[in-house]
Amino acid sequence: MKMMNGNEAVARGAFEAGVKVASGFPGTPSTEVMDYTKHRYSDIYCEWSTNEKVGLEVAIGASFAGYRSFAVMKTVGLHVAADALGGAAGSQINGGLVLVVGDDVGRIAGDDYNDVRHYGNMFNIPVLEPADSQEAKDMMIKAFEISEEYTTPVILKITSVICKTTSAVAIDENYTYQVKCRNKYKISFSKVIMTTMMMNAKGSEHPKLTKCFNDFPAHMKRLAADCNEFDINKLELNGKKIGVVTAGTPYFYTKEVLPDASILKVGMVMPLPEKLIRELAEHVDQLYVIEDGHDLMEKNIKDLGVSVIGKALFPKFPEMTRFTPDIIEEKLIPNAPKREVVDGIPFRLPVTCAGCSHLFISEILRKHKIKTAADVTCGLIGCFPHMETYSLQKCMGSSIALAHGYNVATDHKENFVAMIGDGGFWATGINGLMNLIFNDSQSTTIIVDNSCLAMTGGQHIASSDFGFNYKPENKLEIAKVCEAIGVKDIVTVDAYEFEELEKAILNAVNSNTNSVVIVQKPCVTRFKLPKSDAYSINQDLCTQCRKCINIGCLAIESKKGKDGKVEIVINEDLCVGCGLCSTACKFEAIKS
Amino acid sequence: MQDTGKNIIIAGVGGQGILLFSNLLSKYYMKLGYELKISDVIGLGQRGGGVESHFRYSTKPVLSPFIKAGDVDYLLSFEQTETLRYLHCMKEDGIVFSSTFELSTSSVNTRLEKDMPESKTEIIKRSGNKTFIIDPDENKSSDFDISKMMNIVMLAIYSEFRGYPHEEMIQIVKESVPEKFVVGNLKAYEKGISIARAKLA
Repeated sequence: MKMMNGNEAVARGAFEAGVKVASGFPGTPSTEVMDYTKHRYSDIYCEWSTNEKVGLEVAIGASFAGYRSFAVMKTVGLHVAADALGGAAGSQINGGLVLVVGDDVGRIAGDDYNDVRHYGNMFNIPVLEPADSQEAKDMMIKAFEISEEYTTPVILKITSVICKTTSAVAIDENYTYQVKCRNKYKISFSKVIMTTMMMNAKGSEHPKLTKCFNDFPAHMKRLAADCNEFDINKLELNGKKIGVVTAGTPYFYTKEVLPDASILKVGMVMPLPEKLIRELAEHVDQLYVIEDGHDLMEKNIKDLGVSVIGKALFPKFPEMTRFTPDIIEEKLIPNAPKREVVDGIPFRLPVTCAGCSHLFISEILRKHKIKTAADVTCGLIGCFPHMETYSLQKCMGSSIALAHGYNVATDHKENFVAMIGDGGFWATGINGLMNLIFNDSQSTTIIVDNSCLAMTGGQHIASSDFGFNYKPENKLEIAKVCEAIGVKDIVTVDAYEFEELEKAILNAVNSNTNSVVIVQKPCVTRFKLPKSDAYSINQDLCTQCRKCINIGCLAIESKKGKDGKVEIVINEDLCVGCGLCSTACKFEAIKS
Repeated sequence: MQDTGKNIIIAGVGGQGILLFSNLLSKYYMKLGYELKISDVIGLGQRGGGVESHFRYSTKPVLSPFIKAGDVDYLLSFEQTETLRYLHCMKEDGIVFSSTFELSTSSVNTRLEKDMPESKTEIIKRSGNKTFIIDPDENKSSDFDISKMMNIVMLAIYSEFRGYPHEEMIQIVKESVPEKFVVGNLKAYEKGISIARAKLA
């Protein structure tokens, strides 16, 4: 037995399944799946791809070559890769193809309230959902078997709870890695090509046609029938009063709160084991469905004509972001004790690390009231009301195109600016830049070059000086790429050179051509930059104008002093001595 | 009587070493042959967000990764605003260990929200549970940085309170932390023992 969190267990499962290729894009909560795969299992080729779509395409190509492959991303990342998944769904599969997706149930990592199982419904592909680390490992292996047996990509849904929960996993310490290779099909086409033939040349037995046929609806029908016998779908017939269909960690909440209930624990949430559901429904007086995320199993069960209570009793978002044992107890145990949280505990808005280059950029944009779109980077914290720097923010890689759209709509009278991280730039933002150039637009883009994907823990990107497959000669230079794309005006500045940075941003914004300002400073947290002496605030000079507080630095606090008076203070343990607050203070109260 | 298991919440903010703490504790309970489930909830942002770890050990298999409110035996908190978030989760005879360290929240700093008018330490003391309040400022030492090693101090306090053999816990610390931090960590551990002994006297 070994203690593993869900991410580590998935990596172990990949190893035991004989995976050859792992690709994908970092995203909380599932980033560590790749980290563990890379660092524990050197036999497996690993790459962080430029974005999720590319990552999945790499895995699809490897699978066609006959080798078991997986791609990892979070659900929001799968939105980017959805087209690639649609292409693989229903097509011929050689080596098993598994998509490991981290679903942020409870919005613990701060994602939108998404549910990856929608892709199972939409593309008609199976989705497996483990409930602990042991299952995460076992189901990873099972996912490859299903993928090959039923000729389909398989989604392994892991959640922010599974990923970060550690429990014991049985492993064979002496297991030796064996790469699996299976070349069943000479071709593999998206189902558009196959359906065109299936629908129009049904009767033809010409070998040129039949070799292209892949009767994916039949494969899925067979899977839906067979899954009633799968050991990952477990029917536990118990008391007759309450029956629960459940999956993932909510299974354990249910078991703990309702020890007498009859439970169908579904390991494969799509397609559902119809026979087992009917058997449970007949056994009990009342059937419930307890599922994290959207009401998908509930809808699919109702579609079978089986009556079940789900969101009518357990309202979903925004009333609830994820199940807890408490919620089940409150609704299904009569006279459950009510427990109230202490009233008025202040909320923690996400805060930027002390010394982060984003704070410098944000400070300049706010100071000069420059209207700017933020991207999905650590910099998006500047959208929150304690900073109020940005007025527009959407998805990853979007800010350049958003600003361009704004500028063409307003006839370029305002010069709306884009701020984007280096990760977002390489992921998809670069398309926005190419787009605005060849559409003859003028716009300013600030690219924050911190040498990594900071928000997910500092993974490498195309312009990093490190990485799984890093070679110095292959490193992409942001400035060179921008130049090649056709940006006229490119400057590179050090974030801590406040005056230079301010000048560069103002010059860029005021110029009439397209411009890029590359702001360099390695991520303070990822690269553990050396600290300078901490700054402090002279309380005699401080007028409490709160300009420094609005920088949004984690180290600056507003606190009651010993005498009960509120003071603005710098937390010397957190301060890195970057001096930004001292630049912002008009009263010279902040000194090193 | 044999200990059949306990439910522990470990709470604080990012950067306080909560995950290391639960990792060290898990090694101790694993050596004793307990079944374990440890669930970490880490909020958005690299630093300064709330972190909570649900730590369950038992002689029987642990089911839910999260501890149901009302089932918590021990709350070990490194930050007192975070302590408040879990007071309602305590068993009646549950015990609270809480540092008086406080990282002000961004919403209060920027006046989006008012801070609680009352002293947080007083609210904790009044909770109806047995409480142990630890003030890091009173226990500063030149041998180690208590702001960074509160986790080890807390480990020693908890071990002393539970009557666990310190030499075993120290061994686990030595095996788990990078060599250059071992000396400081051991000083922090000793400090924890002396704090606990003074409290328990």
